[in-house]
Amino acid sequence: MASAGASARDRAVAPRSGRTLIEVAGLRKVYNSGEDAVEAVSSVSFTVATGQFVSILGPSGCGKSTLLMMVAGLESKTGGSIAIDAMPVDGPRPDIGVMFQDSVLLPWKTAIQNVLFPVQMRRLPVDRYAAKAAELLDFVGLAGFHHKKPHELSGGMRQRVSICRALVTDPDVLLMDEPFSALDAITRDQMNVALMDIWERYRKTALFVTHSIREAVYLADRVLVMGTRPSTVICDLEVPFARPRDLSVGETTEFNEMCGFLRRKIEHSYAEQARDLAAAARKEVVNG
Amino acid sequence: MASSAHAIPGATAGPARARRTSFRVLLRRSRPVLLPAITAILALAAWEFVVRYNDVPQVILPAPSAVFDTIVANFGLLMFHTWQTASEAAAGLVLAIVCGVSLGMALTYSPLLRDAMFPNLVFFQLIPKVALAPLFIMWLGIGSISRLAFALFISFFPIVISTMAGLTNVDPNVIRMCRSLTATDWQIFLSVRFPFALPYIFNGLKIGVTMAMIGVIVGEFITSQAGLGYLILFGSSQADTPVIFASIAVLCTVGLAFFGIVAIADRIMRRWFGGAITG
Repeated sequence: MASAGASARDRAVAPRSGRTLIEVAGLRKVYNSGEDAVEAVSSVSFTVATGQFVSILGPSGCGKSTLLMMVAGLESKTGGSIAIDAMPVDGPRPDIGVMFQDSVLLPWKTAIQNVLFPVQMRRLPVDRYAAKAAELLDFVGLAGFHHKKPHELSGGMRQRVSICRALVTDPDVLLMDEPFSALDAITRDQMNVALMDIWERYRKTALFVTHSIREAVYLADRVLVMGTRPSTVICDLEVPFARPRDLSVGETTEFNEMCGFLRRKIEHSYAEQARDLAAAARKEVVNG
Repeated sequence: MASSAHAIPGATAGPARARRTSFRVLLRRSRPVLLPAITAILALAAWEFVVRYNDVPQVILPAPSAVFDTIVANFGLLMFHTWQTASEAAAGLVLAIVCGVSLGMALTYSPLLRDAMFPNLVFFQLIPKVALAPLFIMWLGIGSISRLAFALFISFFPIVISTMAGLTNVDPNVIRMCRSLTATDWQIFLSVRFPFALPYIFNGLKIGVTMAMIGVIVGEFITSQAGLGYLILFGSSQADTPVIFASIAVLCTVGLAFFGIVAIADRIMRRWFGGAITG
């Protein structure tokens, strides 16, 4: 467990006054053009300070994954700007680690070879990173599994390997796109704890996309709620719970009140959307 | 196991039953090998019996035992011709792999080339290719080059198709993961696309290997001084049916061996690949 000094430092809510690392301004994404144009992300602006863990919460189809992929440089943007460390993002960058919904491990490589894959792709010396890869795998509880292939690992174990892969080259930013959504509820809780442990240790600036309210609150220093139509940030909430957290924080009244608040925000956005859609439909009937 | 069986009252025949069960398990396991083998042996025995019982002349249908005797008596000669056929087929297949995989890659990576060539390739495929064999003799002469080229020609198409299928069927998420690691297209090809395509390429190879054999035999039928195809024609001109059957038997063995080599390579590759690909 963390020392007293560390936990005192952690108790101070994430430093919002800290140096801004990620800056997203007026970000917009439109798929197709003309008649078929679909606005996936309307106008999103937020900043994330160094070392902060931010959850992006929203219902499916609100454009939160598209937003994350644009920050990762994997998806082009229609408008607005993204900067990480004051440098604009216009493609994949070595200072960004990405975790996907699926573990996307290479089936013919062992766990440790998969963790070292980014090292290989970036043409860095593999033997210099081998110890780091082993240490990461041990840390996430895969000590006896370094040389197992993905089909010999469970879904949760595969995502643990995937966390290690995202962290092995020590990126400044960790982007996670619903990484635990395909796992069962119990495994998911375990993965949240594992993610917290590893985050406490390496303190990466993190963006975590999820549609689970409890997961968002449990993990983050700050929760951004995205609405649908228009797909923008409708709520930016600080999470005040002390770190390191364990799952029992989820049983406290404050935690549940916060989850309730966020749920109402999302429902409200849904209701507005339904009203807008109904209005649009009426208009169409009148015009038609 | 045995002791727990004893614990059940009235189960005194435990060990004996266990032995009988394990024999049954063995029988069930070996069924995929045993059953076809027994069927084949029965068919050969019936053949032998019918020939002997009816006194069928050897020119019409030699008994399996006569074919076997012919193989033993002419073993050296058969091996000489086998070497001709097998080496040409193997060389044709190797060339087909090189050309097929390269063309498959080119067509996957160049949309221009794909749009220009692929429909024509499919159209060309509809021609009964055996009909083109005489042309190869016209162009490349009566040497082994023409047979090799023909074997290459008819075995490379399935390899092209399977290579293309393999290279395009890579999980897009894996490609995205690679791109997030700032990997170049060439790196993605070498470390992801090609390994993912391997099981598909092997499926094409299994078809290609039989095609290469057919190509060489057809070439030998048209013109040659050696090879099992030549020996079959020679046997037919001499009304030596046992030689024809002996050649066919050896041909089957060679084809089986070639297929076996590809199948073993495929298995090794799949084991290396991990459990992700089945079927």
